[in-house]
Amino acid sequence: MPRIFRHWMLWPALAMLLVFFLMPSVDILRASVMDPELTFRHFERFLERAVYMRVLWHTVEVSFVVAIVCAVIAYPVAYFIVQSPRRVQFLLLLLIFIPLWMSILIRSYAWMVVLGREGVINSLLMGAGLIETPVRMLFTTPAVYVAMIQILLPIQIVTCYSAMSDIDLGLVRAARVLGASPWEATRRVFIPLSLDGTITGMIIVFMLSMGFFITPALLGGRRDLLLANLIEFNVTQLNWGFAAAIALMLLLAAIVGIVVIRLAARLLLRALNGALAR
Amino acid sequence: MPFTDASSGESVRFEGVGKSYGDVDALVDFDLAVNPGELVTLLGPSGSGKTTALNVLAGFTQATRGRVLIGDREVQGLPPEKRDVGMVFQSYSLFPHLNVFDNIAFPLKLRGVSRKEIAERVEDGLDMIQMGDLGQRMPAELSGGQKQRVAFARAVIFRPPVLLMDEPLAALDLKLRESMQAEIRAYHQRLGCTIVFVTHDQNEALALSDRIAVMGDGKLAQIDTPQAIYDAPQSRYVAEFIGKTNLLEATVAGSDLAIPALELTLPVADLPAHSAKRDGPITLSLRPERIFRVCQGDAEAYPNFEARVEDALFMGDMVQYRLRLPDAQTLIVTERRDTGGARPTRGATVQLGFLPRDLTPIPEPS
Amino acid sequence: MKKLTLPYLAGLAAALTLAVAAPAAIAQERTLAVSGSGGIVGEMNTRFFAEPFTAETGIAVERLTSEGSRMAELEAMVNSGRVLWDVMEISASNYPLGVSKGLFEPIDYSKVDPEGLLPPGARAEYGVGAASFSHVLAVRTDQMPEGRMMSSWADFWDVETFPGPRALRNRAEDNLEFALLADGVAEADLYTVLSTEDGLDRAFAKMDEIKPHVTAWWTSGAQSVQLLSDGEVYFGTSYNGRIPPLAQSGLPVEIMWNGGALHTSFVGIPKGTENIEMAHQFIAYRTMNAAQMRQYMAELPYPGFAPGLYDGVAEAVTAIQPTAPANLEAQFSANPEFWGDNLEAIQERWNEWLLE
Repeated sequence: MPRIFRHWMLWPALAMLLVFFLMPSVDILRASVMDPELTFRHFERFLERAVYMRVLWHTVEVSFVVAIVCAVIAYPVAYFIVQSPRRVQFLLLLLIFIPLWMSILIRSYAWMVVLGREGVINSLLMGAGLIETPVRMLFTTPAVYVAMIQILLPIQIVTCYSAMSDIDLGLVRAARVLGASPWEATRRVFIPLSLDGTITGMIIVFMLSMGFFITPALLGGRRDLLLANLIEFNVTQLNWGFAAAIALMLLLAAIVGIVVIRLAARLLLRALNGALAR
Repeated sequence: MPFTDASSGESVRFEGVGKSYGDVDALVDFDLAVNPGELVTLLGPSGSGKTTALNVLAGFTQATRGRVLIGDREVQGLPPEKRDVGMVFQSYSLFPHLNVFDNIAFPLKLRGVSRKEIAERVEDGLDMIQMGDLGQRMPAELSGGQKQRVAFARAVIFRPPVLLMDEPLAALDLKLRESMQAEIRAYHQRLGCTIVFVTHDQNEALALSDRIAVMGDGKLAQIDTPQAIYDAPQSRYVAEFIGKTNLLEATVAGSDLAIPALELTLPVADLPAHSAKRDGPITLSLRPERIFRVCQGDAEAYPNFEARVEDALFMGDMVQYRLRLPDAQTLIVTERRDTGGARPTRGATVQLGFLPRDLTPIPEPS
Repeated sequence: MKKLTLPYLAGLAAALTLAVAAPAAIAQERTLAVSGSGGIVGEMNTRFFAEPFTAETGIAVERLTSEGSRMAELEAMVNSGRVLWDVMEISASNYPLGVSKGLFEPIDYSKVDPEGLLPPGARAEYGVGAASFSHVLAVRTDQMPEGRMMSSWADFWDVETFPGPRALRNRAEDNLEFALLADGVAEADLYTVLSTEDGLDRAFAKMDEIKPHVTAWWTSGAQSVQLLSDGEVYFGTSYNGRIPPLAQSGLPVEIMWNGGALHTSFVGIPKGTENIEMAHQFIAYRTMNAAQMRQYMAELPYPGFAPGLYDGVAEAVTAIQPTAPANLEAQFSANPEFWGDNLEAIQERWNEWLLE
């Protein structure tokens, strides 16, 4: 018997997973090949029509970029917070949490106000005489990136922070006295120990990005169609089979993406340690 | 074999070192000279400044005043990595993401030692700590004693002239702690490096040290060999901190030494030769194991007095008595269990004696 | 203390049960669940139809809001056999979808419109026409070149004369028709042309011309008017009912009725509801009561087909209605059947085209 079944305290969680995750997943799998009878035509259509692979690729690309940029921005921010006095830490985390209380829809609209032709940035630039005509920022892919990064950044900061606050700073001191410069101690001890949490955050951000559709629809250009938008369209058309097939391809891409992120993390760790692995 | 090469230890000197945190003085005008190759313990209760002194030496804390020297290098102002000292921490501080081998190899890697040499030296190190086949284990898979050995090997693998040890055995149980003490002494002899060892455990300090530096209130109270510290404490603080003792107030008047608590008057000449014999009050330390029961017949052979037994504490090989003197002061006496005669029971009155040379006068602070 | 006897207890329990259950049972019998849009449309429906209906019949109306996922919810309910709605609003494009999937009860016109007063277009087999709405172009009049006014889809395509950012809905439907009109196809021939491969190519070719000038491809009605009011675009399509409030708020914006796509939305009955009788009663009230509908359309220009609807309606109110004679003349009738059959395939091509 697998060990997990002996831990009875896990049963409620397993039951929840079974009912709310596994069963729907199986249902989606079933819908994708059984609509109405056993068929692979939905997957064939996905693979044959260029649009779907392009959108899938764009979705993966956007999600990767968002995850990486979020990590790069969040890491030093989280480091700064961890280094602050306890009370300041609490305050800073609160500030970071505040935007999370607003819905993605509202935050996306807020970005329209900022990035628009007559928005805050253009008004400032034109008022300062730096530009004559408004710069087009809204309805472009960068606008999607900016908004998605802003929306998901708090999640990454908080996961990084939580990983970093678990690190025994005595280890960094130990590294120093054993001969490591501040940078070497960071590179060989602090970063490797905070990497796991950072990678977890990246995976969460990546997964959430893969499912985004409001933000790209509101802020993106015509090419910023993400896979979730196609799922939504097909659901409204009651085309469950194809919607399920797209969802499964999205899931598959997400799993591949996670594996890639994990592999990259392992390579990075090896590079940081200059490991003497045998 | 590289690991057993005796690296030449270097001296360590604190000269008038002070460290303040705001209004709090953690270290006050601290002077200490450790000889090359010596094992010196900084002993004191928490808040005595011993950890601050160690941190100043390691470079984690910058002294507010004074000079710190390793050999003839002035190190104050240098970051920890430039001081070339090894260090073992109370919490071991093994890197949890590196296996035993990579933990031990860590300082060598930072020093640009070749792969081949690292492999050789770490293997030797593993052999020395008798963990030759555990190089691939992760720290989480080790017992407390094993972790401590790895931390030790990591601290000395680059043959630092000075090794700092910050309460390294505090987290271990008594038995393991005692065997680790023996190991540390053995390694110390083989390696020859200078060791500055911080502890709050007097038994550990007595067992390990070439010399003990007793600290209190951010100052050096006394530095001497364990035996001298024990036998001739130079202050009340040291006398009370090291081992158990009985402090007796006495008065010198001409050639007489009066000890009211014992209702005794002795000739001053009976005191240890080196003690001061000026007229006036004096505090005497009398170790519990230096007091013994006397039979009626011996009454004239030793100065003796009466006391009532309050309770007896069984300590294995010893019994510790708490007694009440006629003037209500408490007295502690320890006795080997194989001492002849029936053991006195609670409430019994016993006749006790001592040798006058075991009375150690405590110099009053000037 | 006197012992309570068992019969006494049983009687008490029964009385309690009755007291608690009876009103609930009655209320249940006399409540109608209506699924429809939220927001202003929902508010106006409650105010002008649901509330007076309750006052008149004693049947309470519970309005359940559902938007984009309405059909998905409906299908899930029908498939599970637990239908929680008695009446539902059916948008123009959802009607053929629901019909093809068999999600609606047929309408018994002897109960809704026994005298056959509704126009044939409103008497659909599975739904009664409840509102007309138009997908029209709205233009910022302050962004017009001196002395010119945009008056046709050809003008919308004429980026030389009418420069400025444009917005269209991100959907093949209600765009390809406009492209063909701009390309000179007659209203009457739109769907014949679109039904051919060549006609579709022709529409997409025309769309190619305007593509670089379309800044935003909106996905929701709210977004379409936001674009106009934020000044993101000067010319953009929207639903006719969203423009008057924008104009009232002071924005210089006007509807171009010419070439607008006129749609009919329905009210119908989800398959399997138990309250078919009451549902018909409500549908009759919703679609045949001209007095209520006049009040409704004065607030929200989505008029239905109740007999004598335009009698005595003020000119200002008539002017903003999509089915006012003058506006009716300028527009074409959208063909939901065509899109029901072809949307999926054409939208796929549309997405590909957008990515190019």
